[in-house]
Amino acid sequence: MTETPAALNDLHFMKTLLDLLIPPSASGDLPGAGALGLSAAVATALQADPLLGPPVEAAVQALRETTLSQHPEGLPGMAPQAAVKVVEAQLDPMLIMGILLYLYPAYYQHPRVLEGIGEPPRPPFPEGFDVEATDAELLEKLRARRRA
Amino acid sequence: MLNEPVGVLVIGAGASGAAFAWRIADTGMSVLCLEQGPWMKQQDYPSNGLDWEARGMREFSTSPNVRRLPADYPVNEQDSDISPLMFNAVGGSTILWAAHFPRLTPGDFRVKTEDGVGADWPIDYRTLEPYFALNDRMMGVSGLAGDPAYPYHEPPLQPLPLGRVGNTLASGFERLGWHWWPSDSAVLSQEYEGRAACINVGSCLSGCAQGAKASTDITYWPAAQRKGVQVRTGCRVREITVRADGMADGVLYYDAEGQLQEQKAEIVVLACNGVGTPRLLLNSRSRQHPEGLANSSSLVGKNLMLHPYAVVMGIFEEPLQGRRGPTGCLFWSHEFYRTDRSRGFVRGYSFEAIRSVGPAQTALWGTLHGLVPWGEDHHRAFARLYDHAGMLLCITEDLPDETNTVTLDPELTDAHKIPAPKVTYRLSENSRKMLAHAVERAKEALMAAGAVETVAEPLMREAGWHLMGTARMGRDPRTSVVNEWGQAHDVRNLFIVDGSVFVTDGAVNPTSTIQAFALYVADSIKQKMETLFD
Repeated sequence: MTETPAALNDLHFMKTLLDLLIPPSASGDLPGAGALGLSAAVATALQADPLLGPPVEAAVQALRETTLSQHPEGLPGMAPQAAVKVVEAQLDPMLIMGILLYLYPAYYQHPRVLEGIGEPPRPPFPEGFDVEATDAELLEKLRARRRA
Repeated sequence: MLNEPVGVLVIGAGASGAAFAWRIADTGMSVLCLEQGPWMKQQDYPSNGLDWEARGMREFSTSPNVRRLPADYPVNEQDSDISPLMFNAVGGSTILWAAHFPRLTPGDFRVKTEDGVGADWPIDYRTLEPYFALNDRMMGVSGLAGDPAYPYHEPPLQPLPLGRVGNTLASGFERLGWHWWPSDSAVLSQEYEGRAACINVGSCLSGCAQGAKASTDITYWPAAQRKGVQVRTGCRVREITVRADGMADGVLYYDAEGQLQEQKAEIVVLACNGVGTPRLLLNSRSRQHPEGLANSSSLVGKNLMLHPYAVVMGIFEEPLQGRRGPTGCLFWSHEFYRTDRSRGFVRGYSFEAIRSVGPAQTALWGTLHGLVPWGEDHHRAFARLYDHAGMLLCITEDLPDETNTVTLDPELTDAHKIPAPKVTYRLSENSRKMLAHAVERAKEALMAAGAVETVAEPLMREAGWHLMGTARMGRDPRTSVVNEWGQAHDVRNLFIVDGSVFVTDGAVNPTSTIQAFALYVADSIKQKMETLFD
């Protein structure tokens, strides 16, 4: 008999959940969070969090059980709109925030996402960035007010 | 040699400990600094990787209760409206600070005289003026001379560029006719003393991999070590020990291997910040000092000031490139700095125009404030916010109140079983009114700059960067812990050089003033050496 993994480690279920939280963009420039394969990273981070981890894990477990009672394939088998409704009904906003606390950093560091939002797909250092100079007109106004 | 008695023992290698140690080393006395954290390496800072925001929220978080690193001690903040923040390493909290570098203004030293509240400092701006200038040179400060809000001073380096976001926000202040001035910033606008100029990495708050942002591990400490000062890392001081006559004679500390060690010293100097210093004094009870060391006034740990902050974000139609460049150093405004009783509160606040944050923090902030939902609308809402935001921090003067305290927690301890600090802090009615006023004025400035919407966080909880007032200075031993040059009234070979000594706190970031004071204490000791303990 195969043991069912905990919901956070159920990659198929988590992929669906993360794609609901951050779906692909309509233009296709930005992938869904689940499709980026972030499930394991988010699960690991949550399980290492002694404060947020246990309540989020319990809530996600309950969500999976609820969706399995509504559809034989659970959340992955449900129509997107129905899936969103059940997530909204089952997960307290604070617990969703707990997932997002780890999901957003994982998502917005991915090179494909960085390119999609107009950022170079590289670490900030060592290249850094260019910054516009101070407006010369503003500087002139300040100089006129200077204390000698 | 390990545990050889030293002339001067400095506890804490942060902003003040570094400045003091460098300056006192001229005496020729042996100087040792014990620091509970490690030396940092620039190649380990988060901005070297794509995961810079994730690491900035975890092991480089400004909260010791989030990081929970071996160098950290826990802080019970359950009874505090604001979370105390700090970093424990050589360089201390300057590792993670924004390097915004205003000085206290002359009026901040005479609050009681000017407004009948708080207390006057026993020193004035003019006393510290040469030390402000010296400190600016040591840290490497960029800025524009001539701000009418201050006595004239010349930062050693040209000001940093405001960038598109700074130009935009400044235009709002111009339209309203409000004071604004480019910030003095401890970030290099050009190469200086072997350190490279800022390249606008934009992750100042999790350490500067470029080394352009001043942190004392790369400014004061190399210079202090060249003078022979020793730094011993991974060392957590348990208590300051005293002689039969009540004078300090050294410390007991746990070394990096967890072994209890004893270090003797002729002079002990505390530089552990406004939470760590009272914690150590209160943990140093003895027969001679039953209420804790240097505590005959019962003021150790009292009058904690934290600078309550609000933040107001403006959302603009055009992209502002706000995530690029030094995070916290655009400009300041002292338009509402002085008391105007018609506003319904006493004293005032300043604005700090800051850049915005990276994409992950933008998404988190947006979700927390109802601007960026999860689900179908996420990307549209995110795109409206990301790179389209400019922010004003409102930093308010926090008047001293004896009920705001650092005490010892009866249960919580650190990894060495040393009692941890408990912070009790409640926002005063005066501060509430000031924050509310500041939020409305910030909205006005942002709209004048062209914002189409503003969003306010009227009290930032994760904003206890400035830890002050818990061992205040003064001339009267009944109403202060140290005298006007940092010497403990009760223990004449014990000195305090961190923000604990602040009598009042102005409405600006304190590090420049803390370091200037530390330099001044070192010079005072040098000048009074022959009669130091009389």
